[in-house]
Amino acid sequence: MIEGAIVAEELTYSYNGLLAVDHVSFSVAEGEILGFLGPNGAGKTTTVKMLTGQLRPKQGRAYLLGMDITQHAKKVQGQIGVCFEVTNLYEQMTAVENLKLFARLFGIRRFDAEVLLERVGLAGRGNDRVETYSKGMKQRLMVARAILNRPKVLFLDEPTVGLDPTSAEAIRNIILEERKRGATVFLTTHDMLDAEKLSDRVAFMNQGKIVALDTPHNLKQKYGRRALKAKVLSRDGELEDREVPMDTPETPRLVQELFSKEKVVTVHSEEATLEDIFIEITGRGLVE
Amino acid sequence: MSPRRVAILLGKELVQGPKNFIFVWVIVGPVAISLALSLIFGTLVGEQPRLGIVAEAGSELVRKAREAATIAVRTFNSASALRQAVQSGVVDMGVVLPADFDTSIRKGDKITLTAFIWGESPARSRAILGVTLINLVREIAGQEPPLEVQSIALGEAVEIPWNERLLPLIVLMAVFLGGMFLPATSIISEKEKRTLTALRVTPTTLEEIFLAKGLVGIGLSLFSGVIILVLNQAFGAQPLLLVLVLALGAVMAAGLGLLLGAALKNITTLFAVWKSGGILLFGPAFIYMFPQIPQWIGRIFPTYYILQPVIEVSQQGAGWTGVATNIFILIGLDFLLIVSITLALKRSEQMALLA
Repeated sequence: MIEGAIVAEELTYSYNGLLAVDHVSFSVAEGEILGFLGPNGAGKTTTVKMLTGQLRPKQGRAYLLGMDITQHAKKVQGQIGVCFEVTNLYEQMTAVENLKLFARLFGIRRFDAEVLLERVGLAGRGNDRVETYSKGMKQRLMVARAILNRPKVLFLDEPTVGLDPTSAEAIRNIILEERKRGATVFLTTHDMLDAEKLSDRVAFMNQGKIVALDTPHNLKQKYGRRALKAKVLSRDGELEDREVPMDTPETPRLVQELFSKEKVVTVHSEEATLEDIFIEITGRGLVE
Repeated sequence: MSPRRVAILLGKELVQGPKNFIFVWVIVGPVAISLALSLIFGTLVGEQPRLGIVAEAGSELVRKAREAATIAVRTFNSASALRQAVQSGVVDMGVVLPADFDTSIRKGDKITLTAFIWGESPARSRAILGVTLINLVREIAGQEPPLEVQSIALGEAVEIPWNERLLPLIVLMAVFLGGMFLPATSIISEKEKRTLTALRVTPTTLEEIFLAKGLVGIGLSLFSGVIILVLNQAFGAQPLLLVLVLALGAVMAAGLGLLLGAALKNITTLFAVWKSGGILLFGPAFIYMFPQIPQWIGRIFPTYYILQPVIEVSQQGAGWTGVATNIFILIGLDFLLIVSITLALKRSEQMALLA
């Protein structure tokens, strides 16, 4: 019996001999949101393609909802939803026509497109051709399409990239609602805030391998460096920065010295971001 | 394979297809060419095939021929007058009936008839007149007629008229433009717009997607082929046989379209392939246009096996037995194509389909 909504075992894929995903293993529990982070070319999209049955792994296995995706691709695909990074809607069709087409392909008999469109903030625009939509509207329609079959596992690839704050927030809310409904969410993103706000756990992928996988809190505990940042007034009247590392045996003494020897103007504590931790682990940034 | 999903996708193709400029191009193109040629050659409003008869002692054949709706009949007083009428194109065919014609055929005696044929008369007219003549004699004799017809061509031109030479090219264009281009452009467009990827992560299989697009191609191809034959009055005496040949041709066209759609990444490449590979499709039509080229060369091309039965049935009045071999070869070619598509889909990951 396979435990977990998504289980990857030694997943491997190469394009013309170039290793894109290198023996990746992980699992995602039912109802969990996993943030999948990594720079371009790290192997995130290839991993998603293998998990969703679009690519057959060269090695290893992927189980979704307890089923081997390579053997039961169509059965699995009937129970998942996928939202792609690049818009791939039928642009000459209306939003309602797009949703109804996919609902029928999923075998959904009673389907109210208007209710779903309202949920993603597109109420009243359902009968407009998709080609007249803005990028944010198209992205919201893509999310609507991904959830129309009430998927047990939802794959979202950069769902908020390049969106206005309202559209991005609408999509974040839908992700949380889907999790509340019981769906497992696999969220591929560059956006640290999205990953931190939404994910129960995050996986860092670099050069085809998962280099870290834990809750954001644990990763910060393990790899992050907290610090006290201060602005002090120098003798010639200029503002200068001072940084005191926290969580070290020297911290109390250094804090005391800062306040006794310097004229402190402002002071605040700073936590490591997921970006900082990624750089700490891999030596490279998430956005390159 | 789910027929329900194929029907859903087919519905989408039929609704979305006409919005594609290719759809208009493939329908309008051959029809426009056909109409233009009909106007040039004056065959837009087709005349009935004209039969001239000399029956000095009278014959029931004359009465029955006049009653036949498919031909026009003129009688002549002498064989020389008939010969002159055929030579000048007043009638397409002329026959001289011996004095004891009706009695002899009823008795079952063997009779040899001489038929004068106008050299410029369309093959279709010759075929209709020949078939009608035999049928009428059979009616009078009440049995299979012991009749032998000797043909003598008269007039200046004794070769195939140009409108008939061009017909195979127009038929192939009609069958292949729609049947091949529509599935190919539809698949390539879905790849370019990545909607194919969206479909692939639903329960829908590639086979279902391809079948729906192939069916649209077959339907359009068959429709265009039939329209062209109707416009050119080339349906002859075996319309169902022609429809069968066109349907098998439509399967070939749609199959090629699906293979091209699976293999090619963009529309520009498709047009490049069309320009460079078009000769493989239209080769037999060009060879037929010029009778001085050895006609056996046409057999090298797969489309020959669509074209030849169409020519034989529509222009030469052939029946099933005359075209059966070519039709079986055509069925074999279609089968090979379907097997190739199935293999291509199974190997889809290695093809441009997922690029």
